[in-house]
Order: sequence, then structure tokens, then C-alpha cells
Amino acid sequence: MRTITQTKEEKRFSLRGKWWVTFLFAIFALLTAYWLLNLIIAGQCNGNCVINTLSQTLRLATPIAFAALTGLLCERAGIVNIGIEGQMLMGAMVGYAINLFSFQVFKQWIDPAMAGSLSRLMAVVAGILSTVILGLLLAVVSIKYKTDQVIGGTVINILSLGVTGYFYRQFLSQNLPAGPGTFPIIPIPGLSQIPVLGPILFTQKPLTYVMLILVVFIHYMLYFTPWGLRMRAVGEHPRAADTLGINVFKTRYISVVLGSIVAGLGGVWFTLEAVDVFNPAMTNGLGFIGLAAMIFGKWNPFGALIGALIFGLGSSVTSTVSIFRPDIPSQIPQMLPYVLTIIVLTGVVGRAIPPAAENTPYEKQ
Amino acid sequence: MSESKMTQPELIPSPKTTFQRLLKPLGTPLLSIAIAFIIGGLVIWLTSGSFQTMLQAYEGLLKGAFLKQRGLSETLVATIPYIFLSLAVAVGFKTGLFNIGVEGQFYIGAICAAYVGQVLPNVPAIIHLPLTLLAAVLGGALWAGIPGYLKARTGAHEVITTIMMNYIAFRLVEFLVSGPVKDQYSTAVQTPPSAKSAWLWSLASIPQRLQDPLNALGAALFIAFLAYLLARWIIGRTSLKTRWQQGHQKMFICSGFALIIGLLIFLALPPISRIYWPFTDQYDRLHIGLLLAVCASVLVWWLLWKTTLGFELRTVGANANAARYAGINITRSIVVAMAISGALAGVAGGVEVLGVSDCHCLPMFFSSGYGFDSIAISLLAKNDPLGILAAAFLFGAMRNGADLMELNSGVSKYIISLIQALALLFVAAPAIIRTLVSFRIRKQIKEEHPISTRPGG
Amino acid sequence: MTFALQATGITKRFPGVLANDHVSFDLVKGEIHSLLGENGAGKSTLMNILYGLYQPDQGEIGINGATTQIKSPHDAISQGIGMVHQHFMLVAPLTVTENIMLGQETIKESTRLLGQIAVLDRRTVARRILALSQEYSLMVDPNAIIQDLTVGAQQRVEIVKALYRNAEILILDEPTAVLTPQEADELFVIMRTLVKQGKSIIFITHKLREVFAVADRISVMRGGQMIGTVKPSEASQETLAEMMVGRKVILQIDKDDAHPGQSVLRVENLTVEDDRRHMVVNGVTLDVRAGEILGIAGVQGNGQTELTEALTGLRRTNSGHTFILDHETTLANPRKVQETGAAHIPEDRHKHGLVLSFPIRDNLVLNTYYRKPFARGIELVYATIEQQAEELIETFDIRTPSILTPASSLSGGNQQKVIIARELSRPVKLLIASQPTRGLDVGSIEFIHHRIVEARDKGAAVLLISAELDEIMSLSDRIAVMYKGRILDTLDAKSATREELGMLMAGVSREKAHV
Repeated sequence: MRTITQTKEEKRFSLRGKWWVTFLFAIFALLTAYWLLNLIIAGQCNGNCVINTLSQTLRLATPIAFAALTGLLCERAGIVNIGIEGQMLMGAMVGYAINLFSFQVFKQWIDPAMAGSLSRLMAVVAGILSTVILGLLLAVVSIKYKTDQVIGGTVINILSLGVTGYFYRQFLSQNLPAGPGTFPIIPIPGLSQIPVLGPILFTQKPLTYVMLILVVFIHYMLYFTPWGLRMRAVGEHPRAADTLGINVFKTRYISVVLGSIVAGLGGVWFTLEAVDVFNPAMTNGLGFIGLAAMIFGKWNPFGALIGALIFGLGSSVTSTVSIFRPDIPSQIPQMLPYVLTIIVLTGVVGRAIPPAAENTPYEKQ
Repeated sequence: MSESKMTQPELIPSPKTTFQRLLKPLGTPLLSIAIAFIIGGLVIWLTSGSFQTMLQAYEGLLKGAFLKQRGLSETLVATIPYIFLSLAVAVGFKTGLFNIGVEGQFYIGAICAAYVGQVLPNVPAIIHLPLTLLAAVLGGALWAGIPGYLKARTGAHEVITTIMMNYIAFRLVEFLVSGPVKDQYSTAVQTPPSAKSAWLWSLASIPQRLQDPLNALGAALFIAFLAYLLARWIIGRTSLKTRWQQGHQKMFICSGFALIIGLLIFLALPPISRIYWPFTDQYDRLHIGLLLAVCASVLVWWLLWKTTLGFELRTVGANANAARYAGINITRSIVVAMAISGALAGVAGGVEVLGVSDCHCLPMFFSSGYGFDSIAISLLAKNDPLGILAAAFLFGAMRNGADLMELNSGVSKYIISLIQALALLFVAAPAIIRTLVSFRIRKQIKEEHPISTRPGG
Repeated sequence: MTFALQATGITKRFPGVLANDHVSFDLVKGEIHSLLGENGAGKSTLMNILYGLYQPDQGEIGINGATTQIKSPHDAISQGIGMVHQHFMLVAPLTVTENIMLGQETIKESTRLLGQIAVLDRRTVARRILALSQEYSLMVDPNAIIQDLTVGAQQRVEIVKALYRNAEILILDEPTAVLTPQEADELFVIMRTLVKQGKSIIFITHKLREVFAVADRISVMRGGQMIGTVKPSEASQETLAEMMVGRKVILQIDKDDAHPGQSVLRVENLTVEDDRRHMVVNGVTLDVRAGEILGIAGVQGNGQTELTEALTGLRRTNSGHTFILDHETTLANPRKVQETGAAHIPEDRHKHGLVLSFPIRDNLVLNTYYRKPFARGIELVYATIEQQAEELIETFDIRTPSILTPASSLSGGNQQKVIIARELSRPVKLLIASQPTRGLDVGSIEFIHHRIVEARDKGAAVLLISAELDEIMSLSDRIAVMYKGRILDTLDAKSATREELGMLMAGVSREKAHV
């Protein structure tokens, strides 16, 4: 079944996709947050507190950015991936499990510190493998069997919930050995000493750095390489690409796999960077928020990053407020990121036009 | 905009040819479910290490669902919200909308019902019960209507907005239950219990309830109404149609029939039920919500295929451009569809609070997980109300039986989710089964002749 | 005489259809060979086989005398075959340069080792494009974005795209569908230039006139078979038409004189925007009276689509007024427009006209379902709906196994008949027919033309919009020519000539012509 795409009805209020509007909105959001923060905390949040909040913003933006980049890579080639949430959840669980169990194996032969690093690396690889498997499932169902991609993505989500829940209950909820813990913070020598920017940008855990590098890399790939050109063509007008000898199906498969690798990174962030434990459904909708960030960023990597940062800001402001104002019931500010997502999606910040051929299975005539 | 892939030719599902209808399209879903169970069994075997465990697990599942003391009753109890929620999802799908927010609408319906249920302590059931359900309906409709409106006016993708509304609903309900609507007199974090007048009658308690003449009146009116509809439908289907073609005559006959039934219920049922009533204490958790669910099913069927509104919704779902050409107001259709969908989901929440929960209130940790399952049910049943009843029953059985399964064999309940997801996967891409079950010859032919619409000229 | 390309015994089967039945076709080096046939004859299938998009079940292909296989567009391109499709294969948001180099991108040498993720070298490509552009007099701007270009410019880009890949054989599939007669003439000049430079061209069309302007040889296909190959000097329009259809074809429709009555549709200074906020209808004023057919001629893309949508309520009018029988319908929605007595045969039958997954029964009440007798209040009355469906299938000769067959199973002609049956089944004061016979076979075309004239004879006002000049000239009583969103002039159909209309369609109004 097809979900409704837009029919041209009444004029909609929109600041038609101008990049500076997005930029201004971002600045505006930042200032508002700061002002709000100070107001609510009535001056209790000093310079350090603000820096901490901003640092946390970048941290919390990481999984969202990964999700957004995943969505971007898939959709630019024409595959709508609603299953990112499920992919990340799977990656989180597999990463956690492998981290734990491979550590038990490694520490018998090498010292714990090394074993820890090694097991974490193994966990990242394993997590990525699991998300790629899910991604391939989506790809096969959408490309080969031409099922509606939104349904395919939902199936991935349900499948993931089931599998992670099952394995969690069977193996991961009790009697666990001690694990090696999460990735440590890696301050970049020299740069992390810079006042203000240092603690925010250069004193983060490794996956955050990976995310930032990935944004630049994907931007380069998309706009400066043959691969990116072909992928964009496949996402906009697959038949045109086909007539020029480009294998539409292969391009889409590869894009989904690449996207899934990024989703894997996003997934392992939860259990290898954020917290050292796995809870069922711990991704909490961040996969979907990532999609919103992608739309906000108009399917551009840097735009997606800004979107992720805004949502990250929402989350970090929430937790800072919770600390300083325990009198406000925690649930109210917790709603903030989700409300923000809805506002963004209603296109208050410019209507975004997705790749033309998305969610349309390609029929080789 | 191309046509949908999953919509089959839109024939009116007619209950009259139910049996014939059930057989043909049943093939794929049944096969999918069967294979899913087989694969699930394999997973259990592999992860538990013993074949015995797998057998114990499935045995426990079966016993828990049907065979044990309260098996069937509990299965039906679990089925009820599934029916409502799947209908909600189906109405959305038919209009081309992906309402993943049923879980959140469920919660909102629940809190609305819980609130109205306890805020009016002295109102007779004949008013209180419908009022409470109405609150649930309105709450759910509003919660879904907002993303619907946003979708219609701004194009905001309803998948994401409804999921966001879910999370907002969870937090909101959490906040309300632990704060403004909290029960002051209980140590548990929950809303105050609803008044007895708002409870959905459990089947076992009906004789007792009917002793109150006001309740009997309410029941009589409701059943009479159903009788009226039944009479109308029968007349429409049989040859009597031509005899009583006149609109007035038809109404007369039906009203007469309804009146007779109503009087019977009001006068005869209370004393009779005191003497003999088939639903024993076993069924003290199963409530009349089941009847409401079945009615809702019929209502949705009627709405989608027999009314102008349903025609509009289906057209919008099949081809929104053609719908505009046909003069259908797309915005209105989207909002109405979402509202109906949300209303159904809200009722599910209300029904859970008023019928099932021990305290007839809304506790803090009111988790359900019914939401995602319902999407699977709706897809499995291909959005057909009759199929939804069957699939919901299956899922209810699985959910209920899973407890005994876990007790019996130690296998975690979540294997059910895995099986359901697999079944859904196979239904969504039936060709996967064909590949798996390797009808090789057919497959070869299919590959040589690509699926093309019209070869060029 | 060397053959650039030879195809022998090509057979291609699709489920239920024999698209190509032992077709043989050859192309002499340096000639323009025209392939004629009506929709569904098998021309596109044959070309897609030559371009590697399909594989033939049987048959052989030879290029420059050597037998070869064309397994994919890649093969075709490397063997010197280039194709300009009827619907352009251009990626709208990308630039001309990017579109042209897609699939064989030039990269900066220094980054060669990176393979697929090397750096694109747009500048080199742009330079080569300009060089080609000069050589063949095909003006293109390498840095323009496709979606900003006119249709004619896009077509040039497509040709340059083929030349960029060193195509020696060019296949042009219905290239004049989107051009004015004058632009078509320009294209023919380009074709002759290309041929002089040694290229060979296969020119596909269904317009009889054109083949005489430019072809060296003409081949006609019908029903999947190659009927014959003739020289232009040996044939006439009538003989070609007969070959195309298999029987004598009356190229002109027989109609009585019009007896126009009162004014039914009055449009005053209408302006309408398209989806990209460009003003594509720039002040249109027209008037259609009962009992007459006003035809709007003009190349696609001059605002006709948007005008029709505005008149029928599918698009907002920016300014101006529309009156149907003195009711103002400027901002009315489609339902209100219909209720004033208008019927609309939409341009795109799959997009607007039908719901393909619904049964024919439902499609026949698509815009009347809410009215008595099809509905009583909120409830649909299927007895009446089905009765009407049965009747209409009879009356309009719609070939279908039952009223419950989904519309997607019908042929194009029958689908269009469903739409016409629906629209003409109620009393019609105004009929707006937009490209009513696009993509249909001759039998359906004749049928539909008859119905339109019939409606007019019954007293309806008919507004006919078509890109087929022949259709306009044969059906209309008056002809208005639309160019860049304006009606340049309105002529009496009996006295209008092709040349006059062609000039108008190209934007040359009569005053300008008289220097």
C-alpha cells in the first residue's frame, strides 16, 4: 500500500527551502535555549554549566546524526528506511553482548586494558554486521520483492524489537559478568586545551569524532565523486540512470548497506559510549528523530548535522533543567525533543523536497 | 503517482460468501504464520539447546491459550484491544495513512476513560458507561487528529509525527498519573479507581447487573438497536427485499423487530439469567468489551465499503489525485480518517481500563506493547475487518499463551514477537515464501518474463 | 551501400503479447530512416531491444556488418548507438554537465586511484560539451540545471548526450511530440546536419506528415510485425495510414456545421501559477458557446495543462474570473465545477481520471457517488451503481469481463472509454476534453472523436485541448492558439491553415507577420 504523497493543494506557508533560513533558525534555537536555560535555572547555570550543556549537546546529537546520515544514504538512492530505529536497537544489543562476552575470552590471554579495547572494537564490528543484515533484509524486500518500503521498515522494527527483547530476556538480564565498560573520552591533544571550544568539540568519545568525520566524508562522496553522482541520479530518475548503463539495483543495495554500516555505528553508541547496559527499546525513538533531522537538513549531510544538533540541544537542555529544577516534573521537559521534531516536520522551516524516486520500486521494463 | 502494490481489487467483502472468501486469500497468511512458527521453533531449539524445550514451549503456548482453566477467557480478553487497535490501523491504511501512533492514542484514551470513570461517582451506569467510553473516543480522536491535520496541511510525514505523539503521550500520562490525577488513598502510583457504574460488565456478572432495572433498560436499548440493524441487513440481502422495497415499510418492520427483542431483553432476560447463565466465574475477566469490539468491526466494514465517506477514504488512499478530481476534499478525508483511527485506538484504551485492569484504574506502569502488534495484525489481515478478527484472535492467543509457555519451558515471551514479525515479513513479501518453499519451475518462468505493465508500442 | 545496423527476425514476447514478430529492419549508413506505426505497434519495443534495454527472444543484430549482441545500454553505447527517448532521460535537479557525464564520469587524474570515489572533473566535461555544441550547432549551456531548461533545450541536451558518447547511430523516439511545427523543422535541420557528418538516424514517429519532410526511407509496423519499407517518393499519407492501420482510414471526421448558442464558458483574464510558482497562464480570455467546439492548439508546456486544471478546480487561479453558465467558478473546487454542469476528461487518465485498483463499477461513479440515486444520505446504493455500470458498458462498448474488473486490467482505449462513459452519462453543458486520445489506437480515437462531436451536437459547449494539431483541426469549429500562457489568436477552423497555426504556435502573431 502506498502512503499518500503530496498533491498540490492550497498554498502552504513556507520559507521555501532557503539555506539561510535554516541557518537563522539554528542560531535562533541556540539563543532561545540559552536564554530559556538561564531563566529557568535563574542564574544557577554559570559558564561551566553552559559549556557542559553544549558538550552534552554534541554528545546526544551523535546517535541522531548517525541515524540521519543512514536515512540520507538510503533515501538519496531511493530507498526509504523507516527501520533505522530497529537497526540501531539491534546494533546496541549485539554490541553490548559481544563486548561483554569477548572481553571474558580476551582477558584470559591479555591484560584487561588491552582486552577491553579489543573487545570494544569487536563489538563495533559485530554491531555493524547485525545492522547490515537487517539492512539487507530491507533492501531485498524493497528492491527484489518490491514491497512498500515503509512496511518493510516497520517489519524491521518489529523484528528487531522481538529479537532484542528475546535475547535480552534469555541471556542479558541477569547474572552478567563484569564487562570492560564503554569507550573512554579521548581528548585531542592540544586542541582540547582551547577555552570553550576545547571541552565542547575536542573532549568527546571516539564515536562522536567518527560522526563528525563521516559528515564531511559523506558530503564529499555525495557531491564530488562519480559514486555520489550515480547514487543521486538513481534516487531522482532511476530509468535515466538505467539507460546510461548504471545498475540501479546494485546501486540501491550498496547504498542500503553503507547506510546500515552508519546505523551500526549509531547503534553501538548506545551501549558502547552512552551507558554500559542494555535495556529493551533503549533507542527511544532516536531513530525516527534522526529521520526528522535528515528532512530538516534537506537530505544534506551538513544540514542533517545541524538538525541533529538542534535535537541534541533539546535533550541536553532537558536534562540540565531537570538537575537544577527538581520541582518541575521530569516528564514535561522530556517531551521537548519530540515536540520539537513535530514542529520541524511541519515545515515551519522551509518545505523540503525529497529525492523524486523514493519509495518507488524500480521496474526494469 | 503510481498505484499501490498491496491493494487488491476492491471488492466489497460480503459476509454472505464468507466461507468461500476465507479460503482463497487465507492461503498466504496461513502459510506465513505456519512457516513463522516453524522458524520460531528452530530458534528456540537452537538457543535453548534442546528439542524437548521447544516442544514444551509450544505445548505451554497451546495450553495457556485455550486449554487451561481460564485459557479461552483470557485469550479473548487479550484479543479485545487488538481488535480495536488493528481496526484503527486498518482505517488509516485504507486512506493511505500510516498510523503508528495507535499506542499513544491508546494511552490517551485510557487516561481519559480513567478520569471520567472516577470523577463522577453517582451517575447511573446507563449514562456513565457510555460517557466514559465517549471520553476515550474523543481523547484518541484528538491525539490522532493533530498529526492528521499537520499531515494534511503541511505534509508532515505521519509516520514520524505519530511516533513522536506516542512518546509525548507516554510522558504525559506518566505525569498525570503520578501527579494531578493520582489516587491519594493508595500507595500504588495510579489513578483513583473508577466507579462501579463505569465498569464494563464482565460476562460472569451480567445476571447480577441486570437486576438493576436501569441497567436492564440500557442493555435492552443497545440490543434492540443491534436487532434493528440486523433486521435491516437481512431484509436487504434476501428476497424479502423486493417485497418490502418501500422505505417506510422496511423501517416499520425493522423497528417492530427491534421492539420485540428489546422487550424480551428488558423483561425476560434478568430473571432467566438468574436461573441459568452460561458464563461462569471463569469468565469474570472477560467483559462485554468483546461485543463492542465485534460491533466495531462491523461498523468499520460498513463505513469503508457501504458509505460515501468510506468511498472517499478509500479513494484518497488508492489515488489521491483522482480523489481530488472526484471532488473529494483531501484535507478533510485525512483528518477524518485519522480521527476515526484515533477514536478506535482510544476506545481500546478505555476498554482496557474499564474492563480489565484489576483496580479499574490506570496504573503508572501501564505498558501494553499492543500498538506495534496491531500494525502487524492489520497487515497480516490485509486491512480486512473480518480478517482482523481472526488475526487478532491469533495474536491474543499467542500473547496469553506466552505466559504459560515461559513458565513451562523457560523460553522468554519475546519469542512471540519474533514469530509475529516473521509472519508479517512473509505476508508483506509473499514471494519470499515462494522462494523458500521453492516452487522452482514457477520461479524460473517468472524470471524470464519480467513483470511489465504495457510493453511499448 | 553499407549498413550501419541490421536487425533480422527479431521476436519478443511479453506475457500475453507478441510485441515483435520476426521483425527485420536495417539502417543504411548516412540515412534518416523513419519508423512509423501507431501506439502499440511494437516500435518502442524494437528500439529498446536495439538499445539493450530488452533482450530479444529470437533474432540477430549486426552493426557495421558484424553480428553482435547488445546485452545492456552499456553495450549499445559502446557500439555507437545513442537513444533520445520520448520522455527525456534527464535527472532534473542535476546540471547539464552532470547529466551528460553520468555513467562515464571524467575524474581528476590525480585522484584516479580512489576509483569510484575519485574527484569529478566537471570542467573538462563542460569544455567538451561546448565543443560538441559548436560542431553540431546544438546550443546548450553546460552549467544550467535541467529543470530550468525549456523542453527544446532539454532535447538538445539529450542529443549532445548521445554525441558525447560517440554515437554513430542515433535513435530518436517521437522527438517532435513536444515541439511546435517550427521547432520540429529546426530539429529536421539538425538531423540533416548530423547525417552530413556521417551519422545514421532512426526517426520514430506516428505523425505522417513528418516522414515526408525528412526521411530517406520509411518502414511501417503494425501489430508487432514489419509491414513494409518504402521510399517517400513511392508513398502518400493515405497509403501509409492504410499500412499503419490495416484498413482504409478516413483521416478527417465528418461533421455537420456548428450551431452555436449562448455562451457557456466565459474566461476573463485568467492567470495561473505552476508548481514552481511561475506564471504559466498569463491572462487568458476566452468564450465557448453551446453547440460549438473550441479547440486550444499549442505545444505542450505553454500553459494548457495549468489552464485546464484551473478551469476544472484542480488548481488555484491567481487572478481573473471564470464563469460557467453565469455562475462564478473561479475559485470553485472540482465538485462545484462539476455541479454547474461541466464534465472533464483529464489529460492524465492514470493520475486523475481513474483509480486503477478500483473496479470499473466504482470508477464509473468516481465523481457522482455522493448523489442520488447512487447514494441515500451517507449510504451507497450498490443496486443502482451496478445497474448503471452495466448500462454504460453496453452503450460505450467497453471491453471488460465484468463490472468488477479492476481498471488496471483494461487497455488504454477502454480505460479512456470508461472515463468518457462516466462523464457523458450525465447531462453535460460543458465538456472539457484534455488530450482525449493521447496514446490510443486508431479505433479508440475514432470512437472518442465521434462522441465529442455528438456531445456538441446535443448542445454542449466543448473545450478541446490537444497537442495533436490534426485532431484540433479536424474537430474544432474555432481554434485558439496558446503560446506562453496567452491566447495569441482565435481562428475559424474552416479557414485556418496549418502554416498559420504553426506560426501562431511558435509565437508569431499575425500583426508581427505583416512587416
